[in-house]
Amino acid sequence: MTSTHAGARSASSVALPGRSLLRIGPVTVQVRRRPVLVAGTLFLLLAGSVVLSLSLGTPYVAPADVLRALSGAGTPYDLVVLDLRLPRAVLAALAGAAFGVAGTLIQGVARNPLASPDVIGVTQGAGLAATVALTGGAAAVLVAPAALLGGLVAAVLVFALGARHGLAAQRFVLAGVAVAFAFRALTEVVMLTADPIDGLRAQLWLIGTLAGKGWTEAAWIGGTLALLLPVLAWAGWALRSTALDDDTARGIGLRPVARRIGLAATGVLIAATVTAQVGAVDFVALVAPQVARRLVRAERPPLLCAALLGALLLVLADLAGRRLFAPTQLPAGVLTAAIGGPYLMFLLLRTRKRGS
Amino acid sequence: MLSTRDLVVGYEGRTVLDGLDLDLPGDAFTVIVGPNACGKSTLLRTMARLLTPRRGSVLLDGAVIRDLPTREVARRLGVLPQSPLVPEGITVADLVGRGRQPYQRWWRQWSAEDERAVERAMTMADVAGLADRPVDTLSGGQRQRVWIAMTLAQDTEALLLDEPTTFLDLAHQVEVLDLLHRLRTERGRTVVAVLHDLNQAARYADHLVAMRAGAVVAAGPPREILTADLVREVFGLDCVVVPCPVTGAPLVVPALTHTSPVPAAAPAGAPAPAGSSVGDA
Repeated sequence: MTSTHAGARSASSVALPGRSLLRIGPVTVQVRRRPVLVAGTLFLLLAGSVVLSLSLGTPYVAPADVLRALSGAGTPYDLVVLDLRLPRAVLAALAGAAFGVAGTLIQGVARNPLASPDVIGVTQGAGLAATVALTGGAAAVLVAPAALLGGLVAAVLVFALGARHGLAAQRFVLAGVAVAFAFRALTEVVMLTADPIDGLRAQLWLIGTLAGKGWTEAAWIGGTLALLLPVLAWAGWALRSTALDDDTARGIGLRPVARRIGLAATGVLIAATVTAQVGAVDFVALVAPQVARRLVRAERPPLLCAALLGALLLVLADLAGRRLFAPTQLPAGVLTAAIGGPYLMFLLLRTRKRGS
Repeated sequence: MLSTRDLVVGYEGRTVLDGLDLDLPGDAFTVIVGPNACGKSTLLRTMARLLTPRRGSVLLDGAVIRDLPTREVARRLGVLPQSPLVPEGITVADLVGRGRQPYQRWWRQWSAEDERAVERAMTMADVAGLADRPVDTLSGGQRQRVWIAMTLAQDTEALLLDEPTTFLDLAHQVEVLDLLHRLRTERGRTVVAVLHDLNQAARYADHLVAMRAGAVVAAGPPREILTADLVREVFGLDCVVVPCPVTGAPLVVPALTHTSPVPAAAPAGAPAPAGSSVGDA
């Protein structure tokens, strides 16, 4: 696929193909054709799947009626569409996007496609705190703040353990795995010594579900993402050099350690926030960046596409969880793995064929 | 343009360079040679501010390099580490484009000047025809030219390279060294490289720095300083130095040792094996 391009280009004109510049005032951004196409397609798919998830269920609402309800025309379906289904669909989209972003940042720093909030201990920290809160009889409103705190404590531990070597990829992952194991073991202890009913609630929390959640959780996640938007604009740019080794990075005037710490801190903050709100649906964080990377055919996961893909995946997973075995609801955490896993396998097989 | 003053560098307890003073000429191709573990790479990496000296300083045009913002240094000094990691799947044009990093900000990601610099660099290093290829599918020689193109895109007056020819076959070694020579003669860049091969060093260097055990033994034009005595002092190797039949530069030919294969008929005038009576040519 590349030989024709390379052959057609003469040495004198090296205009880089498939990219153009976007100028908005003082801001100049390099835009590439393929990521834009992929992002546009994903956005349309996401919009479609949100409408679908507002439409399916009991009662069924025709997509046309969903759109009319959304436009504020006032329909008999307003209660079902706007009050019951919309909050959950928006939450799914925002949580999925947040997981996609967190996964991209963490995988970039770890230089490891298998890294995710789950691998570096953030999920387990949040899980331990939530389990303690749920089994210790804390008020329901305290579970999410406790989980956020737990996730951040785990992240601080990982940073402290990994910092000695400038948060180098290998050490970052190893520190994360160690912290993850320790927190998971503690969680098991708490769960086994707790009242069985409380233990079950904690178990369900750990799998991750959107059932019974809505605007409050969505506001937390959306607010965090909105606040971090300038940081994310920087991160999307900074991520492109995390694959370089430190010597090369310094040679072109970067400060790789500061950069890694900034990216990892942003990633774990988002991961802890979203995990605290919806539980450990973090397979999305693992799979969305990798699938996005392969769709875009880039050397690193693209931040925006990973966010859109995460959103799409979680909206579909939640919809499938609601409808597949209705009236029984499966937690979204189970379904994300069921949808994302085979798709990642399919992509791996396909790229290997093309690569050979 | 690059100098060191009282430079002390070491790793965890072991001191590699101990009070090194060195001045490298601008507008020259300087080659640093010496036996393994003599500190030549350490010196290069310290000059490239990849290592922090324990004491002393590296000066770039008289200014202490540690005090300059790393982005500014990157606009004046390009660095090619010994075996840089190729990001998986990155294309040639993208990797060369990374060399523009010191001129970019996240809100100003690409300019027409970036485009021109990348174009120039790829043409100069003869990799323009590979622009769309993933770097990890290229041969070793092509890959090294791509890395050099990346540092060229930085548009720096000086370029530091750590063993740029290691792992390349002879033809590719010559190709890379010719490219560095052209940078120096056609573009007026200052080039500093660590090389293993003494004869290549003698052929390409305007200025040769011979190191041993963390100290500079001799520095100057190869034709003036590269003698059998120097090779014995620096490498502990007996040799004959003759003029290269192609370039006239000094050519180092190791002398016979007791365990060397003895030719059936040694050419007239060849010195006897070392140890019996070593006379220098």
